[in-house]
Order: sequence, then structure tokens, then C-alpha cells
Amino acid sequence: MADTKIVAVCGKGGVGKTSISALMVRKLSESHLLKILAIDADPAVGLALSLGVPVRKTVDDIRKRLIAKIQKGDAAGNRETLELLDYEVFDALEERDGYALLAIGRPEDEGCFCRVNNLLKDIIADLAHKFDIVLIDGEAGIEQINRRVMKTVDHLVLVSDTSAKGIGVANAIAMVAKDKKAVDYKSVGLVLNRVRSETEARDIGARTNLEIYGWLSDDEAVRDLDFRGVPLSSIPGTSPNMVTISDILKKMSLVA
Amino acid sequence: MTVAVELFTEIISAVRGLVAGTSGRRSWTAGKDLSWPRGGKRNIVLKEDMGLELGSPLKESVSCLLWTHDINSIEDGIITLVGPDFPECMGQSLPFGKVVLVGVEGFTQDNAYDRHRELDFLRYSIDLKGFMMRSVSQYMREWCRISVEAVRQGFSVRILGSALINLFHETPFVKRVEVICLTSSPGDVVRLREITSPAERIIAAMNKMAGEFDYDCTSCDYRDVCDESDALRGMRDRLVERQKGVDIG
Repeated sequence: MADTKIVAVCGKGGVGKTSISALMVRKLSESHLLKILAIDADPAVGLALSLGVPVRKTVDDIRKRLIAKIQKGDAAGNRETLELLDYEVFDALEERDGYALLAIGRPEDEGCFCRVNNLLKDIIADLAHKFDIVLIDGEAGIEQINRRVMKTVDHLVLVSDTSAKGIGVANAIAMVAKDKKAVDYKSVGLVLNRVRSETEARDIGARTNLEIYGWLSDDEAVRDLDFRGVPLSSIPGTSPNMVTISDILKKMSLVA
Repeated sequence: MTVAVELFTEIISAVRGLVAGTSGRRSWTAGKDLSWPRGGKRNIVLKEDMGLELGSPLKESVSCLLWTHDINSIEDGIITLVGPDFPECMGQSLPFGKVVLVGVEGFTQDNAYDRHRELDFLRYSIDLKGFMMRSVSQYMREWCRISVEAVRQGFSVRILGSALINLFHETPFVKRVEVICLTSSPGDVVRLREITSPAERIIAAMNKMAGEFDYDCTSCDYRDVCDESDALRGMRDRLVERQKGVDIG
């Protein structure tokens, strides 16, 4: 049995990383041969929306309830707390056709509850390793993936549009990940979004040291689904962007 | 002076009364040779692989561990089921009640809490392919999923019960083990919960005692539980004595 592969998708806000994450989940879950876990680490639960999954309960809801119990003086031992959190996190999984989704929710507010945060991280890591592939849709920065989800990923996928700002943020995230060791990763690459031509993609490639995993153009199918408010998970497999996503996933050896 | 602790005698009698009043119950002897493959680290059962669900958060669920020094009251190695067995329920989500009755020796005021915890956490060592369990001992809930493949291959209450019984018997202070399961109806599981709910309070009181630094009973939420149990008060007194000993050095 192969080890769990963990993919983290990051990039500047508004560049389309959640849409790309949703398309990746759509492709990965197609075969039904692998167990796929999608982790929505964006406080706005954008990935859940893009996949058309209503979220009943987030990890942060669980955390808040437990902290309220602790503040009421209703604390239990570590093992009891661990089993309660494990039960609640499993209950928070939204199971769909070919994948399960876990929404992290809003970042923790004031007060330090390191014990709860650390237990939750352990439980998420333990749960994640029961799946074949885990895809994390993060916030703009990489630090919160480390802090709230997990420290080690296999593939760090940076998403950018063609703007200099977007590329700059992608480069900065890669730098923080590497030099400041914000997250341990085995491979890092860039996915360009809303690219007009191959020439444009090549030009951008010349301005970054990051490997370009692939580029997506404005896809009529994506635009149409967005316009109608239909989840991206219902995009046809033959749409140009789905074909590109499939190639990107092949590059990471996540699909055959 | 070492005093044997008894906390669950009345609850065990009440559980037996409930089971005796049901119809269509079946019993098996645990098989030492009943083998079932191990699940390993990826033993997760998601909805699309699920053949049967027991005691989900949307259904009634109760799971309880009760021990006694009266070992003759425990029918060692017997698994009793009230309701349909797992292979008869493919595709269903059922309410679930499970009681593990254990005949023990040497539970004293000093070690009863630790030994109870040791026994209670044994269920997490159950590793059976296609069987997944999540539980919250504080709420006495247990949520199990059995994969389609496991149900098809005959995973049954007897296999689960045997695995539990064999596991409990590996613990030196366990002398006899019996397992009772209920899958019959939400009403039966609710009745089992009502009967076993005093155990939830007793365990909560023990948890509180073990985590306390101040044994002031006047402000304790579990005073009513201790007031009715000499054994719990004895455990508390021993903790106070031990604390004083530590304070004195």
C-alpha cells in the first residue's frame, strides 16, 4: 500500500486556487479507486462551495465547543479529549461521491489553547493518513497550513494568475516554505491561471525559478458554471481545463 | 486497609433484566480460533464502502463497560445479541447498544479508576479489517461502520464479540468477560441507555476526582452520585489521604 500523498494548494487571494483545487478533487475522485480527502483550510469555506458541499460543522466549531467546556471547568483527561475530538472530526467529514471533505473554518480567536489545537492537528494528521490522497486548499499564506493542518506535504502547488503580484506572492510563498521551513515538502510547482496564450505562459516562466506544472486559460465551461452558480465539480471531463488539470496531476504522479 | 470496590452491581442486574425481557435474542460462545484479517493503518470505512452503520450520531447509541468482583455472575465467553446480526442488515443504519461485562479481581480504592480506564481503552486495540469504530466514553456512545466487503464475508456480532472477549482476557486482572449487543430497535437502545446512565455519572465522578486538586464536596456536581456510593466515597477518601501524604512530603 502506497503512502498517503499530500498536496497543498496556495497562492494570492483571487487567483483561482479554490477553483483549481475543486477541479483537482473532481479529477482525483473520478476513478473511485482511491480514497480522497479534501481539506478546506480557507475560512470562507470556498472549496466546499465550489464542490457544492454544504458544511454542517467545521473543525473550528468543534474546537470552540471544547474550549467552552474547558472554560466551564468541564475538562476531561487527554485520552478522553482525544477520543471526543476524533469522534467529532469524523462526524464533521462531508462524504461525497468519490471523496470526503473536511472544513477547517475560521482561524482561532483570542486565547491560547495549545493543547486543543495540538490534539486537533494530531487528529487531522491521523485521519489524513488513512486516505490515499489529501488535497488542502489553503489561505494565501503557507504558515496557516503548518499551524492549522499539517507541517509536511508532498506537493506544494502554488497558483497564480498572470499578474506580477500573483507571481510575486507565489515566489514569496515558495521562499517562506523553503528558507523559513514553514512547511516540509518534496516538490513545488506553479500552476498559472487565466493565461491567454502559450507565449504568455512562457514569458511568465522566464520570470520565475519555479517549475510550471501547467497553465489554464479562461475556460467557457468554468465561466458558465460560475455564472449559473453551479458547483465546479459538475464540469465535463472533456473541458480544456479538466484536461490540463489531469496533465498536472499526472505530472505529480497522482493519476495514471 | 485494602477494600474491593463495587460500583456497577445494580446496573448489571438491570441490564440482565432488560435482556431477559426481550424476545428473539441469540447467544454464541466466543471463538478463540475465529480469525478475521487485521485492518492495518488505512482501516477507514467511508460511506461509499459502507455495508452497515451502527449507532451513528443520528441514531441511538450506547456503549458501556461494567465490571464486578462477583465473577460468577458473568457468563464467561458468551456473546448475546438482541436484534438482527450484521450480515442480515446490509445497507442499513441501525441503533446500537453494546455492554461489556467483566468479572475482575483486585479493584481497590487505589487502583479502580486506573484499571477502569485501562479496560475502557482496550476497545481501541480492536483491529479488524472493514470494521471502524469511533467512540466517546464520556457520553457512552459508540459509532461503528462495517464495510460492504466485511458484511459480505460474514463479519458478525460473534466475530466482534470474540475479538473483544479475547482481548480483555489478555489483561491479568480480568477473569471473565461477556458481551451483550442490541440492534433491535431505537426503543431498546434508549431503555439500555436509561438503565446504564448511572454508570455514566459514576465514571464522570471518578474522572472528576482523578483530575481534582481540591476535594471540596460541597460545590461538586457529582455529590449526589458519591452520596449513594460507599465505594466512590472510599475512593475519594483514599485520594485525599494520598494528597495529604504528598503535601506532608
